[in-house]
Amino acid sequence: MASDEIVWQIINQQFCAFKLKTEKQQNFCRNEHNVTGLCNRQSCPLANSRYATIRQHPTKDTLYLYMKTVERAHLPSKMWERIKLSNNYTKALEQIDERLIYWPKFLIHKCKQRLTRLTQVQIRMRRIAAEDERLGEKLVPKLAPKVRHREATRERKAEAAAKLERTIERELLERLRQGAYGDQPLNVSEDIWKKVLNAMEKGGEGERDEDMDKGIESDEEFDGIAESEDEDADAAVEYVSDAEESEDELEDLEDWLESEDEEEEEEEDSDESEAEKAGSKRKRGKVTKMKNKRPKQQEKEKLALTNDLAW
Amino acid sequence: MGFSKPPVQALKIANKQKRKELFVAHKRASGKERHEERHRRRKEESRNPELKAARLAKNVPRTLEHKRVWDDVDDDSLGAVVDLEQLKRRRMEQAEAEERAAIEAAEKMEEDDDDDNDSMLDSDEEEDEEAREARLERQREKRAQRNPSIAPSTTSTNLDLTPTSLALKFPSLFSDEPPPEPKILVTTSLNSTLHEEAHILTTLFPNSNYVPRSSHRYGHKYSLREICKFSTEKGYTAVILMKEDQKKPTGLSVVHLPKGPTFHFTISNWIEGKKLPGHGNPTNHYPELLLNNFKTPLGLLTAKLFQTMFPPRPEFEGRQVTALHNQRDYIFVRRFRYVFRDKRATEKSVTDAEGNALKGVEGIRAGLQELGPRFTLKLRRVDKGVGRAGSEGDDAIQWEWKSKMEKDRKRFNL
Repeated sequence: MASDEIVWQIINQQFCAFKLKTEKQQNFCRNEHNVTGLCNRQSCPLANSRYATIRQHPTKDTLYLYMKTVERAHLPSKMWERIKLSNNYTKALEQIDERLIYWPKFLIHKCKQRLTRLTQVQIRMRRIAAEDERLGEKLVPKLAPKVRHREATRERKAEAAAKLERTIERELLERLRQGAYGDQPLNVSEDIWKKVLNAMEKGGEGERDEDMDKGIESDEEFDGIAESEDEDADAAVEYVSDAEESEDELEDLEDWLESEDEEEEEEEDSDESEAEKAGSKRKRGKVTKMKNKRPKQQEKEKLALTNDLAW
Repeated sequence: MGFSKPPVQALKIANKQKRKELFVAHKRASGKERHEERHRRRKEESRNPELKAARLAKNVPRTLEHKRVWDDVDDDSLGAVVDLEQLKRRRMEQAEAEERAAIEAAEKMEEDDDDDNDSMLDSDEEEDEEAREARLERQREKRAQRNPSIAPSTTSTNLDLTPTSLALKFPSLFSDEPPPEPKILVTTSLNSTLHEEAHILTTLFPNSNYVPRSSHRYGHKYSLREICKFSTEKGYTAVILMKEDQKKPTGLSVVHLPKGPTFHFTISNWIEGKKLPGHGNPTNHYPELLLNNFKTPLGLLTAKLFQTMFPPRPEFEGRQVTALHNQRDYIFVRRFRYVFRDKRATEKSVTDAEGNALKGVEGIRAGLQELGPRFTLKLRRVDKGVGRAGSEGDDAIQWEWKSKMEKDRKRFNL
């Protein structure tokens, strides 16, 4: 058409919004319909009223042949005719041949070249996506700088609040005190260990051996329980006696209670009260008796504990 | 005392010399006042030490740790921000109250049909009751004393508190049988060049070795899932994948083999041991592990993960300790060599969280020498399976960090 020449004159010599000038002789074109990407008379989609190009669907993988003819030049809304190309590359080539049968050889050739290029790009994209899928390596995305700065500040303050060295030192000493390192610790010098042992004895909970036991126990268990347990244990130690009569009494009582099949707690209470009565005259606690008594109580406590833990 | 504003003239007067003079005068006056106040106080307190104790007791800074908020729910699932210790205590109290109510009810019943029950117990029934009541009273008092102090007496993590729901969700982590001796494979993200850092990680985790990830450009790239499969067959118990960005380690993905879960952490402030002033050199002994301050179900899960990554029996002769301290959702990883030594004359003895001296170890302190590396972790995601790609289903992502979680800065997840 006659206006094509005028349009090209303006684009070439004055201004085109799509033109990308380079320092070299060749200019580029940013128009999305351009079949070659170059700015010249033949491949300018604006200055040619008869034009053809290949484009991909913006979201899908389909390729289309876009054609523009002189007959529809006066209808901008229907300017482009769009033909869906086959997924099969050879068939798509045939389709182009068929549709552009009397078109300039230049456009046919460039359309085929563009079809080839776009097909290759699609293949590579699919391959890379599959590889990414297989690796599954994109894990945690990088955070925004704003969030990073915020976190850096909070981390700095948290570190100050943690007082790490002091806390760790305290924990280590706690372990040492509770006997977590065993009877003959390898990581403590002898003088220090003697000091710890002395302090333990001075703490007054009795003999060395028992002391250690207790430490380990309380280490394992929830401190709230441990305290009450200690209390109970003390009570047990206090009330136990070696007198024959009371033992007999107890046995009688136990037999009777078992026969009655009553609650165990009742028995426990009665034990204590019995022992309390007898406690004033018997100060010396027989060790064997205590050993007998403690496991029972512990067992019971353990039962209660497991009940508590099953939640 | 304290900061007082300068008079208006000292700030506004037009003549600079004059203004300066006024300001200096103000400074001098206020400073003098402050100093006099201090001297006076010191004199008083030296005469009466109780005053100082009272002042110090009152002058406790209110930190975020005091203000920390918890979800007010009776729920111990993974996302809930609840202090398991407090929760357990609450539940125990409830149960106790119920039990007490039941006992009382039973007693009432007993009193009703007391006559037909001729027993040997009859004689000391009353005493018995009295004793029990006294005991209950004592317990109640004790609890009343204990309750108000929320500050934990000890900071270490109690893994016995693990709720059963959590144990059911991650049976491989919380299995009853003792976990196998940890063996760890350390590797990096694809095409990473942080071989040195990876070697440092192998020194941090005992029983671990580094397998470089990258091969030549067209070589087959093994995915995390494939690596995990191979290492399960080779008897590894965990895979650590270190991510890099701009030649710095930025992330750590820890896969618990054979089937997950996978934990993703971000690393910040990575400092290798060699860069630390006065650092020591680590030995090959198994270190002790300190897991501090993990409180919520999510925290316990994280703590458990790290516990499974270290040998259960440390070699004490090495005197090394690896500490993972959680503070405000940041997990500080440090490694020290310690020595128990006598307290020097100028030093104070070690105190607990409230500032009271630890009993039994008054004259003893622990000297620490940092071995490095030193870095900070922050938990970002917990996947059910091996990595995000390896977990499927509705609960593929068990927990994920969201920026909006930090809107309330008193609320923490671990």
